[in-house]
Amino acid sequence: MLALESVTYRYAGALRPSLREVSLTLSEGEVVGLAGPSESGKTTLCLVASGLAPRTVGGTLTGRLLLDGDDAAPLAIHQLAGRIGIAFANPATQLSGVADTVYEEIAFGPMNLGLPRDDVIRRTDDALATLRIEALASRHPARLSGGQQQLVAIAGLLALRPELLVLDEPTAQLDPAGSRMVADALARLADGGASILIAEQKTDLLAEICRRVVVLADGAVALEGPAAEVLADPRLEALRVAAPADVRLSRAADVARLPAAQRERLRGAVGS
Amino acid sequence: MTGRSAPELRLESVTHVYQQGAVRALDDVSLTVGPGEVVALIGQNGSGKTTLVRHLNGLLRPTSGRVLVGGQDAAGRTVAQLARDVGLVFQDPDRQIFAGSVRSEVEFGALNVGLHRDLLRAAVEGALATVGLADAARTNPYDLGGSRRKLLALASVLAMQTPVLVLDEPTTGQDVAGVGRVRGVLRDARAAGHTVIAISHDMEFVATEFARVVVMGGGRILADGTPAEVFAPSGWELLRSTYLEPPLAAQVGDRLGLGSTPTQAALLAALAGAAAQ
Amino acid sequence: MTLATVTAVVAVALGGLIGPVILVTVAVLGPALAAGVAGSLIRTTLLLSLPIAISAVLVNLFFFPGGQTVLLQIGPITATAEGLGFALEILARILAISGAITLFYLTTRPGDLVVDLEHRGVSARVAFVANASVQTVPTMVERAGQITAAQRARGLDTEGSVWKRVKGLIPIVAPAVLGSIAEIEERTMALEARGFTRPGRRTLLWHPPDSGAQAIARWLLLAGGVAIVVARAAGWLPWLG
Repeated sequence: MLALESVTYRYAGALRPSLREVSLTLSEGEVVGLAGPSESGKTTLCLVASGLAPRTVGGTLTGRLLLDGDDAAPLAIHQLAGRIGIAFANPATQLSGVADTVYEEIAFGPMNLGLPRDDVIRRTDDALATLRIEALASRHPARLSGGQQQLVAIAGLLALRPELLVLDEPTAQLDPAGSRMVADALARLADGGASILIAEQKTDLLAEICRRVVVLADGAVALEGPAAEVLADPRLEALRVAAPADVRLSRAADVARLPAAQRERLRGAVGS
Repeated sequence: MTGRSAPELRLESVTHVYQQGAVRALDDVSLTVGPGEVVALIGQNGSGKTTLVRHLNGLLRPTSGRVLVGGQDAAGRTVAQLARDVGLVFQDPDRQIFAGSVRSEVEFGALNVGLHRDLLRAAVEGALATVGLADAARTNPYDLGGSRRKLLALASVLAMQTPVLVLDEPTTGQDVAGVGRVRGVLRDARAAGHTVIAISHDMEFVATEFARVVVMGGGRILADGTPAEVFAPSGWELLRSTYLEPPLAAQVGDRLGLGSTPTQAALLAALAGAAAQ
Repeated sequence: MTLATVTAVVAVALGGLIGPVILVTVAVLGPALAAGVAGSLIRTTLLLSLPIAISAVLVNLFFFPGGQTVLLQIGPITATAEGLGFALEILARILAISGAITLFYLTTRPGDLVVDLEHRGVSARVAFVANASVQTVPTMVERAGQITAAQRARGLDTEGSVWKRVKGLIPIVAPAVLGSIAEIEERTMALEARGFTRPGRRTLLWHPPDSGAQAIARWLLLAGGVAIVVARAAGWLPWLG
């Protein structure tokens, strides 16, 4: 459904490209995770996948972005808005700033697209229901907690009925309660068949919801494969990515040369 | 690092009230942090952690009660004066970075506390090296990524060479390398006998790096002890009531009936011990 | 808004005392009582008008040219009855104008005004800027507070000499500006990704309440205002002037 073909991208005025010959495909209903240290290209990849790079952000892109098999290059950003939704790490800057209620905030996207009023209302109601935030509908967006604001931001994307959701470190700035709120909502969306591309430092979250994981290093794809395999790969440490807590625990047990019986007990307890 | 010994920090029955009494951010809190202690402050948003640490350098003054730094009442000292003893690193680097180069940014704090020439240069070089920004000294801070800007903010306080270091969420948003740098800062502080107080919601980081954990909620101290004590299964109900989860190692240890194992190391040691029996 | 403008214009046009007083009662206090904002209205209007009012009254009281009937004498300065009369007229006008403006401000939510403008054809982007600017202020204030705290924690002296405090402005203003600029980039991306730049009109969820009666009332007000100004200019209603 979405494909990057040998994409190289350089920000305007940058000396080196942030993405180097990256190829990636995402099928309908797939949840793909993006891992990698800071400045490895995760955010850039998200911006390219959503079309913001180069349209809004500038810079030069070589290679192709394909949406349902068609080259996305001739499409303007507002045309991509209804097909790909993107959310970022900072909950506050994603609010439009002009809505007094969560309801209007979520309706912002559909309103911009000029859809009939009944359509706008139906989509907003659906988004509230899908994320189970109906109770927040009349609250002022600026006065919500970070986790709540992120859910409102994601609801705002869902109201656009996009084919794909791109999430750039959505829990990076949230406290544990907020992260849990967002993680649970994303897990439900994934179960419901949504197509999601999610970049995260927290590999535990990727382990929870992703089917496949791609690891970036210096703007290129370093590892790729089924989530469980990639996240248990011993090369992660050298790539400066922290494996999920349970993987690290099992690995430490192996390193400590615990007797096999104890390692079995541990594995059993960690898995539960 | 300076040879100055760290002052004792003491809050005596401190209450801090906002908005004419509507909000009690701190409610009769008493806490003593001895010289060289490495303490983690945990609790959900709004529990009073940020309010508490801002009393340590005078940004906030108690509504009632006293704050003593090195035995002296902080009330008699300005924030600029207290900043020589207590360095506070804020969570959002973009709300303090203003210089055109990494070096100038790091020099700012050091200059303010009176370091000059050779001492200044040594302090700045040392701070940059500790956080891994030595090769970026002339870079514009906004050309660095978010994680490195956070390390820059940390360096700018390290260069002030304060015997007390207070960190607000030092590992949030950091990648593995960044967390490694923060651990390095803690290691250096311990070696120099400096006091460190850190607010964090990363339970694994807290359990492995801190000798003492203070749990806050509703403006009060709810628990205060070693990680083994605070993360013991008997304390989980309290933790969960403040929306915190005990570290994975503690949970696994509990499942295996091994008592309190807040860290990976403790868990493995307990397993090995159980195997030896 | 029509009410406020008309009131202000008429207040200037009407001469004498009785006119403005009637105006204040009818066009300002009446609606204020109806909207339940009379208390704040009186407080705010008096507060706003005080500086101008005091100087206008004093100047006219003591220095009115052609004043004959002496009321009070303080050294070389004389307060005259004619001066007092004129001063009161001026005061009434000032109160009418500031009262009208305050009434508008107190009874209009900026959000509603912007939605209304957008309905009448103002472009979405202009409306957005108007709306967003209002919501930006508390954010900027809070940000400035955070920045100041962070810089003071690094030893910036905000309690010292004036010169020190001036020097200390850069570490506070620069991050506020830089941070805002960095934020603008993020905000722009989010807005564009939500279709903000699509050409053409956007769907509006609701209309600010407006009825045929209100529209008629607006036209009548405008017509009435024009009539009064013309009448004054032509000298037809001497008892109002």
